[in-house]
Amino acid sequence: MGRLVFAHPAYLWGLAALALPILVHLFNRRRPRPLAFGAIEFVLRSQQRRVRRLRLRQVLLLALRCLLIAGVALALSRPSLEPRGAQAAVSRGPQATALIVDASLSMRYRHGSEVLFARAKSEALAALDRLGPDEPATVTLCAGNPAPLPAPSFDRVALRHVLEDARPTYLGSDLTSCMAAAVRALGESPVAGKRIVAFTDLAAHSLRLDAPPPLVPPPPGSPPGTPAVRPSVVLVDAAQGSELPNAAVVATAVQPAASLGARGYEVIATIANHSAAPISGLPVALRIGQQTLAKGFVDVPAQGTSKKTLGAVLPPGTVAGRVEIARAEDQGLDEDDGQDFTVEVPRDLRVLVVDGAPSALRTRDEAFFVEAALAPARTGGRVAPTVLDAEAALNAPLEGYDVILLLDVIAPPKSFTDKLRALVVHRGVGLFVSLGDHVDPDAYNDAFGDLLPRPLHLIKTAADPAADQRRGDSSAADQAARFGVVEWTHPLFHVFSAADREGLLGARTFKYALLKPDPSGASRALLSYDDGAPALVEGTRGQGRVLLYTSTVSHAWTDWPVRVSFLPVLQQSVSWLAGSLEEKAPPPSQVGNDRTVIAPQGSRIAAVLGPSGSPLPLRREKSSPQAQDSVSVQVPEPGLYRVQVQPATGAARVEPALGFVARLDPKESDLRRVDEAELKAQLGGAGSAQVASSAQAAEGARGTPLWGSLLLLGVLALLGEGTLTRR
Amino acid sequence: MTLDPALLARLGPLQVRARKVMEGVLTGLHQSPVHGQSVEFAEHKEYAPGDEIKHIDWRAYAKLDKYYVKRFEMETNLRALLVVDASGSMAYGRGAMTKLQYGSVCAGALAYLLARQGDQVGLIVAGDGEPGSTERLPSGVRSFLPFAASSAHVQEVLRRLDAAAGRGPTDLSGALDFAAEKTGRRGMVVVLSDLFDPTERAVPALKMLRGRRHDVLLLHLLDREELDFPFDDPTRFLSLEDDRQIDAQPRQIRESYLQELRGFLEDTKRELTRADVEYVQVPTDRAPDRVLLELLARREGSA
Repeated sequence: MGRLVFAHPAYLWGLAALALPILVHLFNRRRPRPLAFGAIEFVLRSQQRRVRRLRLRQVLLLALRCLLIAGVALALSRPSLEPRGAQAAVSRGPQATALIVDASLSMRYRHGSEVLFARAKSEALAALDRLGPDEPATVTLCAGNPAPLPAPSFDRVALRHVLEDARPTYLGSDLTSCMAAAVRALGESPVAGKRIVAFTDLAAHSLRLDAPPPLVPPPPGSPPGTPAVRPSVVLVDAAQGSELPNAAVVATAVQPAASLGARGYEVIATIANHSAAPISGLPVALRIGQQTLAKGFVDVPAQGTSKKTLGAVLPPGTVAGRVEIARAEDQGLDEDDGQDFTVEVPRDLRVLVVDGAPSALRTRDEAFFVEAALAPARTGGRVAPTVLDAEAALNAPLEGYDVILLLDVIAPPKSFTDKLRALVVHRGVGLFVSLGDHVDPDAYNDAFGDLLPRPLHLIKTAADPAADQRRGDSSAADQAARFGVVEWTHPLFHVFSAADREGLLGARTFKYALLKPDPSGASRALLSYDDGAPALVEGTRGQGRVLLYTSTVSHAWTDWPVRVSFLPVLQQSVSWLAGSLEEKAPPPSQVGNDRTVIAPQGSRIAAVLGPSGSPLPLRREKSSPQAQDSVSVQVPEPGLYRVQVQPATGAARVEPALGFVARLDPKESDLRRVDEAELKAQLGGAGSAQVASSAQAAEGARGTPLWGSLLLLGVLALLGEGTLTRR
Repeated sequence: MTLDPALLARLGPLQVRARKVMEGVLTGLHQSPVHGQSVEFAEHKEYAPGDEIKHIDWRAYAKLDKYYVKRFEMETNLRALLVVDASGSMAYGRGAMTKLQYGSVCAGALAYLLARQGDQVGLIVAGDGEPGSTERLPSGVRSFLPFAASSAHVQEVLRRLDAAAGRGPTDLSGALDFAAEKTGRRGMVVVLSDLFDPTERAVPALKMLRGRRHDVLLLHLLDREELDFPFDDPTRFLSLEDDRQIDAQPRQIRESYLQELRGFLEDTKRELTRADVEYVQVPTDRAPDRVLLELLARREGSA
C-alpha cells in the first residue's frame, strides 16, 4: 500500500461545494408552510405510508449529489497512490542522470517468472524514457572492472540501444566502483542536479560499505574551492525486497583413487548453501559429456558448505567433466549449479624393451623382472611392453613407442643410435638404459654418450656374491653397496610411503658402473649408493628424458630386482620417462581473468575455442622467434575451452593437453542482500539515498492515478441522481 | 338565481344569509313543475305502516289512487332537530366560508323553512363544552335549544349558530346520543358535519339514531381543498382539533391522500345509505340554496 498524493491539491477546495446540496437538503426540510388543515387524518395516513420511502429517497439524493461534487473535486485534484519507497514529490530542477545496470552473474538469478536482469533492464528503459527533455543521461553496465562512463548526453537513441543490447555477463560486479565511475562522468555535465539510479540485486558482495560515499566533482572550469556535490542515489531493487536463496558448486578437486582401480578417480565437490534454510537430499551428479558416471545426494546446512565425493573410472587422455547439482525449481541461479574440471588420465604407454641378455632360463633373462614389473596385470593394462632381443631390435622400427628400455645391450650401431637420438630429442620418447656384462663403457660413450645423462667411466665391483658362496659366509653381502641418498622429492618416488622407503634402502648392489662427471651439470642423480656413486641418473635431451641405471635390472649385479621396491620404481620410471607422471591438467581459470596459452615447441596457437565452440579474440605477445608461441585470451564465460594448434607440418588440430576450464567466481553465488540502513548511511544518508522496488516509485508523483475512477464515480452519481429526481 | 357562497358571504350576518337561502329555496320550489303539483297536497302525508287507518283521506285516494293520511295539527307538527358540528375541523375553509359557516347558513335556512311550515325546530351545537357555561350538558354538546316553532325561536337558533366557533375535538356521538334522547317521538334529525372523527364513533351513532326510527339526514360538508388537495409546497399540516402536526410534501402524497379520502367517503356513504340514513355530500363551494332545493325536491318526490 502507499500514500495518497495530489497533483493539483488546489482543486480540493472544490469540496467546499459539498455544502450546496447539504444546504439545499436542509433548506428543503426546514421550509414547510404551516397550514391548519381539517382533513389532517388523511394526510397522516398517507404520509405514514410513504414516510420511509421518502426519507430514503431524500437521503439517497443527498448522498448522490454529494458524491458527484466530491468526485469531481477530487478528480480534478489528481490524486494517485504511491507504492513502497516513494518520496514526497519534491519539485527539483533538471538532473543529469547516470543509469547503472548491474550486469553481473548474480543478475542472471531466476526469480519468479523473470530473470533479475530482464526486470532491471525494463526498469532502466522506462526510467530513461521518463527523463525530462532537459536532463542528460549516461548509461553503463556494471560487470567486472568498470570502464569509464561517457559524459551525460541527450542522445536518447544511442543510450536506448545500449540498454536494449545489454546482456548479463558471468563476471562479478563492484557497484561501488561503478558508482565512483558514474560520479566522475556526472561531473562533466554542467546541469546542476546530479542523480544516480542503479538497477541491481543489492547483493552484499557487490557493495563495499567501507568506501567513501560517491561525490560528484565540480565540472571542469569551475572556480577552485567549489565543493563536490552529493548526488541523489536511487537503488532500484530488481528483487523487490525478496530474499534470494541459492545453492552452488563452489569448488571441485580431482584426485586418483586407487581403490577404484587403474584410472579410478575421486571428484570432491564443495557445495555451498546460500540461504537461511538447510538443504537435505540435494542430488549431485558427475558427468562426462552427456553421460552420468556417478550420482549421489548431499545435505548442506544453512549458510554453510558440504563436500560430496563421487568416484568414477575415467577414460584415458584429457578428460573434461562436470559436477552438477539439481536445478532449483522455483527460483535460483542456474549458472553456478555446476563446475567443470579437466583431468589428465594417463594414457596407455607403449614400451619397447630391448633385451640385451636373453636367456632360456627365465629368471636369468635380463628382461624378466622388467617384463614382470610392466605386465598389464600389474599396471592395470596401462603399459603394453614389447620385448625384443637386441639383435631383433636393431632392425625393428622404433617409431610408435613412448619409452624405449635398453637392458644390458651391446653398444648399438650408428644406424640405431641415430634413430634413437632423433626419437628422444625431437619426438620426446623416453630412454632407459641399464647396464650389465655386455656393456663396455667406452663403446657406449662412443655410440651414444651424448644421450646418456653422464658418460660411463668404469665398472666397479663392490663385492662378489659368488665369493660368498665359495667362502660360505656373508661378508660379501655386508660389503655390498646400498642405496644411500634418495631424492625423495622427485616425482618418481612420490608413491613411496615412509614404510616403503625402508625397503628401498635395503637393496644390495655388488657391481655397478662409475660415471664421469657431467660438465653441464644438467643431470641429476635420483638415487646414489652409500659411497656417493650415482645409481639412477636422469637427464633431458631435447624433448625426451633419459634415465641411466648404473647396475643391472636382473639379479646379475644386484638383488634389487627381487625386492619389493624395484617394481614401483621401475613403473614410475617408465611413467616419468613418458612424461605422464607429471601430466597434470592445466589449472582452471576464473571467468573474467586473462589466460595465457603457450604452444608446444614448434607449433603455433591457431585458435582458442570457447565453450560454445566459437573462437575467442587472441592477443599475441611479441616475443623472440626462438621462444614458444604464446597468446592471451580473456575468459568471458564458464566451461571448457579447447586450443587449436598449428604444427610446423600438417593441419591444425585440437591439442587436448592445452585445454582448460573456466569457473565462476564463487562470491557471486551468495546473493545475500546488503543491509539497507547501512547502505543508505554509506551513500550519504536518507536525504540523498533511497532504496525502492521500482524506479517509478522513487521518482514520486507517479503512482496509480485515481482521478479516472473518481470521475467515473461522479458520472454514475449524476445518472443516479437524475433517475431519482425524475421519479 | 343561484346564491353562490362568495356572494352569500358578502351578505353579512347569518340571519340575512339564511333568509336569502330560504327565499331562494322557496323560489325554486315554486318554479319547480313537480313541486307545483305537490303544493296542493302539502297537508297530506303519504300513508306509512303504523299510521292510524282512520286518518286516511279517502277523497285523496279516490283522486290520486294513493293512500294519504291527513296531517293533523299534532301529527304534522314535525320535530326537526338540527345538529351542527362545531368541532375544530369545521373551522377549516379558506374560500368564501368555513364549513361551519356554510353549515350554519344551511341550518339557518332549514330552520326558517321548517318553522314556516309549522314544524318545531331544535338545535344542538356539537362540540366541546363552552367554558363558563352554566348549563349542565353531556359531553359533545356545546349548546342545546329545545323545540319550538316561533320566529323568535328561529332568531335564537340563528343567533346561536352565528356565535358558534369551530374548535375542539369532534365528539358527534355524544351529541347524537343526546339528540336521540331529546327527539323522543319519531322526528327528523339533520346532521351537518364533516364527519372527521378519529374515534370513528359518528357513523355508528348515526346508524343508531336511524335505528330508533328517526328520520336522519346527513349533510356531509367538505371543503373544496379537502376534496382536491391542491397544495404544492412543503407544508406543515397542523390539526385543528388537537396538537398533531406533520410535515409533508403534498405533491408526493396527493395521490395517496385522495385515495384515502375517497375510501373514507365511499365507505361512509355506503354504510349510511345501507342504514337508510339520507346522505348528501356537500362541497362548500356549491350554492347552498341549490343543495337544499335538490334535497327537498328529492324528499318531496319520494313523499
